[in-house]
Amino acid sequence: MMDQLYIIKRNGKREPFSADKIKNAISKAFLSVGSFATQEVLIDVMSRLKIRDGISVEEIQNQVEVALMAERYYEVAKSYILYRQRHYEDREVKEKLDFLINYCNASNAATGSKYDANANVEKKNIATLIGELPKSNFIRLNRRMLCDKIKDLYGKELADRYMYLLNHHFIYKNDETSIANYCASITMYPWLLAGTKSIGGNASAPTNLKSYCGGFVNMVFMVSSMLSGACATPEFLMYMDYFIRKEYGDDYYQNADKIVDLSLKQRSIDKVITDYFEQVVYSINQPTGARNFQSVFWNVAYYDRYYFESLFGEFRFPDATKPIWESLSWLQKRFMRWFNAERTRAVLTFPVETMALLSKDGDMMDTEYADFTAEMYAAGHSFFTYVSDNADSLSSCCRLRNEITDNGFSYTLGAGGVSTGSKSVLTININRCIQYEHKNNLPHLQFVGEVIDLMHKVQNAYNENLKYLQTKGMLPLFDAGYIAINRQYLTIGVNGLVEAAEYMGIPINDNERYQHFVEDILGLIEKYNHQYRTKELMFNCEMIPAENVGVKHAKWDREDGYVVPRDCYNSYFYRVEDESLNLIDKFRLHGSRYISHLTGGSALHANLEEHLSQSQYRQLLRVAAQEGCNYFTFNIPNTVCNDCGHIDKRYLHECPECHSKNVDYLTRVIGYMKRVSSFSQARQEEAKRRYYGTM
Amino acid sequence: MKYYNFDIVFQEIPDEVTLAVNITNCPHHCPGCHSPHLHNDIGMALDEQEIDKLLKQYGRQITCFCFMGGDANPQGVEQLAAYVRQKSRLKVAWYSGNAQLPQNFSKFDYVKVGPYQENKGGLKSHDTNQRLYRNLNGKPVDITSRFWK
Repeated sequence: MMDQLYIIKRNGKREPFSADKIKNAISKAFLSVGSFATQEVLIDVMSRLKIRDGISVEEIQNQVEVALMAERYYEVAKSYILYRQRHYEDREVKEKLDFLINYCNASNAATGSKYDANANVEKKNIATLIGELPKSNFIRLNRRMLCDKIKDLYGKELADRYMYLLNHHFIYKNDETSIANYCASITMYPWLLAGTKSIGGNASAPTNLKSYCGGFVNMVFMVSSMLSGACATPEFLMYMDYFIRKEYGDDYYQNADKIVDLSLKQRSIDKVITDYFEQVVYSINQPTGARNFQSVFWNVAYYDRYYFESLFGEFRFPDATKPIWESLSWLQKRFMRWFNAERTRAVLTFPVETMALLSKDGDMMDTEYADFTAEMYAAGHSFFTYVSDNADSLSSCCRLRNEITDNGFSYTLGAGGVSTGSKSVLTININRCIQYEHKNNLPHLQFVGEVIDLMHKVQNAYNENLKYLQTKGMLPLFDAGYIAINRQYLTIGVNGLVEAAEYMGIPINDNERYQHFVEDILGLIEKYNHQYRTKELMFNCEMIPAENVGVKHAKWDREDGYVVPRDCYNSYFYRVEDESLNLIDKFRLHGSRYISHLTGGSALHANLEEHLSQSQYRQLLRVAAQEGCNYFTFNIPNTVCNDCGHIDKRYLHECPECHSKNVDYLTRVIGYMKRVSSFSQARQEEAKRRYYGTM
Repeated sequence: MKYYNFDIVFQEIPDEVTLAVNITNCPHHCPGCHSPHLHNDIGMALDEQEIDKLLKQYGRQITCFCFMGGDANPQGVEQLAAYVRQKSRLKVAWYSGNAQLPQNFSKFDYVKVGPYQENKGGLKSHDTNQRLYRNLNGKPVDITSRFWK
């Protein structure tokens, strides 16, 4: 007796082979063209099929097509092929429908998102759903575009290798669900000169404080709709200061109490200014239609006096006047204090703020700004600090650090230093790569090197596609000079570094073995970054925040039998749940000995249970300068009462106002402050396990 | 004198970044003690050599060196406190479980006194019997209220 044959259905299940089902399908195809299949015809067609155990439904149907044509029933074959296509389309709709139902049932937007979960969406609704549905199509389209270009440049073999590494999770292409380039820090000079017409808007250049603040919001929305990630405006306050001075004089900050609004409101200069802060900040925190109901991702920067002089020393406004440090400094401080206070009234995620400080001999050069920075941390404000011993780099975003290639000034593009960003991020899963090497007895870092080399070629192909889009006029941000294509980085992301070291049995603390391990891997990436650098290609390397990639990598690696010590790969150089490391150790592990090759940066998130005093934060700024930790923030969860809405800067288990225990927390799980309940389930788990400092 | 471990702490001494050394063989055995493992005579020797090691590792980054306990050997604590002052610019603190300030109070910048009493709570409790004194020109100034903010 013959063994029973099994076929594999589309859903992966096995089912006994049935010749009748095939005969039925063929008969229907004959009937659809007004013909009839006799038993004899059916046997002729069937006899051409080669059915073996484990054959897939698709494969059988492919054979039926060929068999019909071989028997010269061309009309029937055509009908059969069209029938299959219709069913394929139906299945795709069915999948989308299933997704829609699952999304509606998910606990929050980030958990419901199948691709590229992002907590920057407060609540799920019809608008966020509309954003989710085409994501899988974007992924397919992006892969196809990239693979076609890789084939053009390097041949089919490399394109296939890319897909293999991608599908086997050795590498991860970030932001595949959008077709726009990633993030940018823009110069607003072209806008100051010509308004938004050059990027497709209809606004003329701002001429006063009112048109500046109103126009700024629109401009940021427009720029953000042409980027998949963040939009940084490092000159926001400097330009605002310019327009305030034009309206109220260069010494406005010395007369901030002066009543200048002659309406019944009788507002002072200070009130006028903070009302504009309110208008800009609240407008930008609104969900945006063009970004799938996410708010735009907006970043601003503050500078100490030395940074300011280095970045804007040569700067001239279109009327040839120079920016003035004293009034800008007042405005920076005013904005920061206002924003800190405003955050007790509403959950305001943006802007993500970075304070840029220059360091020298183990402390900050501008002690006034160092004291102010410590004061703001002690006042419970949450922001990033960027420290450099040279104004040759700037952090424009909540994560990315960028070398400044040109600190010059031009009357068409403004300050060269502020225009930068990352075009595209491609991430290597170090944990899987290292374990793969080990399992296959490959020399240490041989395979890793091969992967990194390929990643640079892929990034180059991405860049070629971007250049093509630019030649077709699709990238007005580049054409109008808001950003420059050759000053934007192609970023090599790193994930699973700590987990790979753990696999190798290396203790995750400040020790030589760990330092060398980190140096070897990041140094290798830097070597390739240099090797592939050309006039129009610049690469940097970043420890990615891994908002959802860290969770995905851990899940995929575990499924494939790799050693996975936690459910979400770290975004730090230490284990996030490690209680044996003190705060100074963490600064050290994010210090120069570990991060020197990390040209694109990584931020230390110092998680603390309680706020420190100003003098303690001031000392920690010295620690950062001494250790060479160039990017950090202090993260103390803020408490939001779900019942009365009270927001408290402290980490509390009970609302101090209404004593409800129904509280949520605002924290930086990655770059920006959000309710913990808005993060995906997996991320909420990670947040729970976090160790909030020793007290 | 031996110590169990150390940590970088922020709450124990206000405004300082403190390296706190947990000294073992504690004689007090307060009911409700949070660190009963420190009752036993265990851990590594805490001597000048060990202090040199800790100062080399953290001396530049901290502002204060705190001896947590050591009441079984007050002279030993005072000697090591003097050694820390001699070798560094750091302030020196002592978390003692004794009820009285030490005779050589001037050797310290901060001293906490008072055994832990469960019903009165630690320094954060308004009812606490414990006190933190700061040495201001040789005079002890009670700064316990800093914990009640």
